[in-house]
Amino acid sequence: MKQSLRASLKSEIPFFMVVPALVWQVLFFYLPLFFVIYISFTQQENNLFSAHTWENYATFFAWPFARVLLRSFSLAVGTSIICLLAGYPIAYYLARRAERWKNVLLFLLVLPFWTNMLVQVYAWFALLERVGFVNRMLSYVGWISTPLTLLNNSFAIYVVMVYYYLPFMVIPIYAVLEKLQDEYLQASRDLGATPIQTFWRVTLPLSMSGITTGFFLVFIPAFGEFVIPGFMGGHKYMYVGSLISYYYLVARNESMGAAFTVVSGVLLLVGAYMLYRLFVHFTPAERAS
Amino acid sequence: MRTIRIEHVSKAYNGDRILDDLNLTIPSGQFFALLGPSGSGKTTLLRLIAGFETPDSGRIFIGDKDITQVPINERKVNTVFQQYALFPHMNVFDNVAYGLRVKGLPEKEIEQKVRKILSVVHLEKQMYKSIDQLSGGQKQRVALARAVVNEPDVLLLDEPLAALDLKLRERMLVELVALQDQLKTTFVYVTHDQTEALTVADTMAIMNSDGEIEQVGTPKEIYEFPKSTFVANFVGTTNLFKGTLIIEDEKTLIDVPHVGRFSVTCPTNQPWACNGCKVVLSVRPEKINISKEPLEGFANKLQGIVESIIYYGRSTQYNVRVANDTIVQVFEQNVEHVRTQVIDYEDSVYLYWQTASGVVLNK
Repeated sequence: MKQSLRASLKSEIPFFMVVPALVWQVLFFYLPLFFVIYISFTQQENNLFSAHTWENYATFFAWPFARVLLRSFSLAVGTSIICLLAGYPIAYYLARRAERWKNVLLFLLVLPFWTNMLVQVYAWFALLERVGFVNRMLSYVGWISTPLTLLNNSFAIYVVMVYYYLPFMVIPIYAVLEKLQDEYLQASRDLGATPIQTFWRVTLPLSMSGITTGFFLVFIPAFGEFVIPGFMGGHKYMYVGSLISYYYLVARNESMGAAFTVVSGVLLLVGAYMLYRLFVHFTPAERAS
Repeated sequence: MRTIRIEHVSKAYNGDRILDDLNLTIPSGQFFALLGPSGSGKTTLLRLIAGFETPDSGRIFIGDKDITQVPINERKVNTVFQQYALFPHMNVFDNVAYGLRVKGLPEKEIEQKVRKILSVVHLEKQMYKSIDQLSGGQKQRVALARAVVNEPDVLLLDEPLAALDLKLRERMLVELVALQDQLKTTFVYVTHDQTEALTVADTMAIMNSDGEIEQVGTPKEIYEFPKSTFVANFVGTTNLFKGTLIIEDEKTLIDVPHVGRFSVTCPTNQPWACNGCKVVLSVRPEKINISKEPLEGFANKLQGIVESIIYYGRSTQYNVRVANDTIVQVFEQNVEHVRTQVIDYEDSVYLYWQTASGVVLNK
């Protein structure tokens, strides 16, 4: 008995070592979450919370709010899909072709993370404005005569969203492709498959776990993103994140802010779960008899 | 005919020459074993035939067709990989059907062929199991079925039994030979295990550590009549005596310093087999008789002290010191059913062998 206790202490982390993390988690995650949910069921008068009402939630069953949610959702889905289409070839190249330059290229990929996000967003202004780098280059080469409008529209939003979130897609796919054994691909070619057939039948199915991870690493933060669409879109439209920050910081209505946070959080969970089921459906599983 | 001809093939990796001007003909419809120590380039040769590598120079033919530049997927060659390389996201059926599906055969025909080949390798019951539910031997059979279902001209096997335990390996060897008999496909079997090669091969080639083919022949030719000290040493065990050839009128002798003179059969028409040439005599341990009493009727005799005895069950190995720096290995079948060894440590013994039992080799 004594021995088994000692063995269990050796093999597992003792409980007291988990306590600090647990306290941290409760104090700074579960407790605030509880308060947000609680406040969402209150109404605010003179900085006092009066209790228990569904009214905040009733407000959101209106078209303008649904539109904000849909806008954020479509931005998240759009960004994730573009990141996947652009990121997969990059990850493939890094993992299976780059060889000598692999580490340098990986370093370049994560380099932007060393700079503040706002700085990165402002840098894009310099590139995309009417007398910016891109317009100047295009007119210099002679492809355009009048400068293009590259700012304050969805083009600008998507360019910067994809720019910012691309590494989150590339890295998990890279990690899976890097571990993919050459023998599987050789076996496929050996059995008569062309390189393209090998990609669709072996490489892609075996990298689905990386694609799923990458997709949600992009999708979830992109849903709450409001800095990039705000700045690049010229603050024309509300997104989930901007509406929440409006309630808290401008309107100073914390109950409404909390309620909208809960609504969007629940919808994000449901949406992400449904997308996840979709991914599982397309991930080949072992068919047992 | 689908004879494989490898002509003047060279291959280097990062400036390291693996194969240099290699020539080899692999006869059609045979079980051909390629035997060599690890790092001898036998796997490289296999990968060149499969198409995973292209030679730096030289050509490879199957029948009359030059396949040197033919892409992997267009060669009528299939491979059984050492680690099987079964697709982990497919079950047994889909793995075996893979080659037929990428060729676009109708699903009905595919099912027929897959069922048939799975019954040949005794895996009908595992048809819809996933790969990680299979044992090592079953995976091996799936890999085999996945390759042969495509009816290739040539089946390449890269140490396919290396991951299996001894009993299973012996059983799979028998099954492989039976399968080859049935299909009549050319099997090219790469191994570093001489017992495997001797067991399965119709013809075998021995490669040395420099990637050169030392000898091609039937297992019996290779074992009984090795053409070099490398082959004699690598295939089976042998005793090698370095000496000088003495060719007299009616007989040929080899003079081994400090050990003695032995009667040998002289190889004819060999420039290195002249009177006074330095040669090596190879005598297999099982061809030497060991006795405590003097015997009559043998051409060659040696005397020594038993230094160690290794008991193998069906046979016993005696290591006998016959000179200061010379130990001779002798295998004796344990024909007698007795409790104690007749010959013991430190015993003085006589060793005998016939003239024809020795092979004279170029040093």
